[in-house]
Amino acid sequence: MADYKELWKSLDIDLEKHDKLCAVLPEFYEDIYLSQENRPDGMNYFNFVVSEIHGLRIKELADFKEKGGKVFGSFCVFVPDEIVFAADGIGVGLCGGSDFWVPDGEKELPRNTCPLIKASVGARISNTCPYFSSADMLVGETTCDGKKKAWEILGEYTPMHVMDLPQMKREKDYKHWKEELEIFKDKVEKMTGNKVTKDKLQESIKMINDKRKALQRLYDLRKNEKLPISGKDALLITQIAFYDDPKRFTEKVNELCDELEERVKNEVNVFNDDTKRILVTGTPQAVPNWKMHDIIETSGGAVVCEETCIGTRYFTNTVNEDCNSLDEQLKELSNRYMGINCACFTPNDGRIDDIKRLYKEYNAEGVIYYSLPFCNTYAIEYKRVKEELDKEGIPVIMIETDYSNQDVGQIKTRLEAFFEMLEN
Amino acid sequence: MKKQVKAYILFPSHTDGLKLEKVLKERKVKYTITPTPRSLSKSCGIAIMIDPNDIKKVENILKINPEIKTEGIHKLEKRKRVT
Repeated sequence: MADYKELWKSLDIDLEKHDKLCAVLPEFYEDIYLSQENRPDGMNYFNFVVSEIHGLRIKELADFKEKGGKVFGSFCVFVPDEIVFAADGIGVGLCGGSDFWVPDGEKELPRNTCPLIKASVGARISNTCPYFSSADMLVGETTCDGKKKAWEILGEYTPMHVMDLPQMKREKDYKHWKEELEIFKDKVEKMTGNKVTKDKLQESIKMINDKRKALQRLYDLRKNEKLPISGKDALLITQIAFYDDPKRFTEKVNELCDELEERVKNEVNVFNDDTKRILVTGTPQAVPNWKMHDIIETSGGAVVCEETCIGTRYFTNTVNEDCNSLDEQLKELSNRYMGINCACFTPNDGRIDDIKRLYKEYNAEGVIYYSLPFCNTYAIEYKRVKEELDKEGIPVIMIETDYSNQDVGQIKTRLEAFFEMLEN
Repeated sequence: MKKQVKAYILFPSHTDGLKLEKVLKERKVKYTITPTPRSLSKSCGIAIMIDPNDIKKVENILKINPEIKTEGIHKLEKRKRVT
């Protein structure tokens, strides 16, 4: 087998502890993913990426860095990859989705912090995530209080740049975000030593647009009555979008979509016909957090769409590719990103419209509002979302859960009752 | 608990695995890329899982493609997930 120990050692990875993490992945993945029946052949590429999660991609980043390339790690769909790639940098998503890292996170953070932040900080301070160790710069943002304070801790380990995301959507907020993009561009240029020119930015805007379009194509295929792919598989693909090579990823997603289109023609359904179609909305599911989807899809439901950051918020809307100047490009980028409906904004009516629209577009039968514990913005926003969905007669249930497996049985019982209610 | 037997092909590096994948695809042999089971090797990386009934077929493929290096084909009894 490939031996990555030397590579990990060069990244200062705690080999002994990291080995414990490696030990759980194969069985965990087999249980959740490979136990599914009738998976598309095109999922083999994504099996490959997961199997090599701390291997091949890390090697690619190491080779890139050896040639002087710079890697930027980020934690949010508001951080514009276009600017990073335009300066010949590589952007990777770093959000932690494993319970493995939570205890280490709790050494530095209060226990009543969301598991995503605890896992991310835990991954860094325990030296068990080679992606963190590969990053030359971390890019944070101001989407929640927990993250804002976590940046101050992470900044002790890796140079940190924080983007100030406005929390309202007035004209001046759009302008402010454009200014933030300009500051970020300068920072990236300084770090990489490469200028972000109009041509370079145009190229990277097109590359990231292509990636978004491929994901949209995948999601459109989930609108079919017969589902050619499970929600779990689609979630995995979106998670991988955050760290895989963008061009290769787009190519592989499009190849998979060709296969799925054939499946739709042949009326292949990976679920039984009476499986309940579910829209998941709420907080992000960072890799390898497959808990919610796994529970849903082993309890009589099928996830047809995610209105989350590891879902539609990541790829909806593309950026205008035909701009006449760098300034115009930054304005278009700012507009695209400010169009994301995150619960950090007030008001956030756009999200309610999105949920209603996606529910119809994907022919969902029920909505699961998924929230990580201690995520105030999403937990509080549930009240308004529920009121608005009630008005339209859209069934919704709120599930708040962390990364541990303690409550799986309880959630299963609640969901089975919810799905039964959808029959009536 | 239900059990089933699976066969795993291990490789010295992922490039060999991908080379074999290509041939299996051409020959229409059913396969799945998986993380290497811990009980077979402590190194992370890919393995290819096949139906144990196809072992002979794959052995022949490897014979006529000596440039594809493997670390053997291993049978494993796996418990089947009960949901």
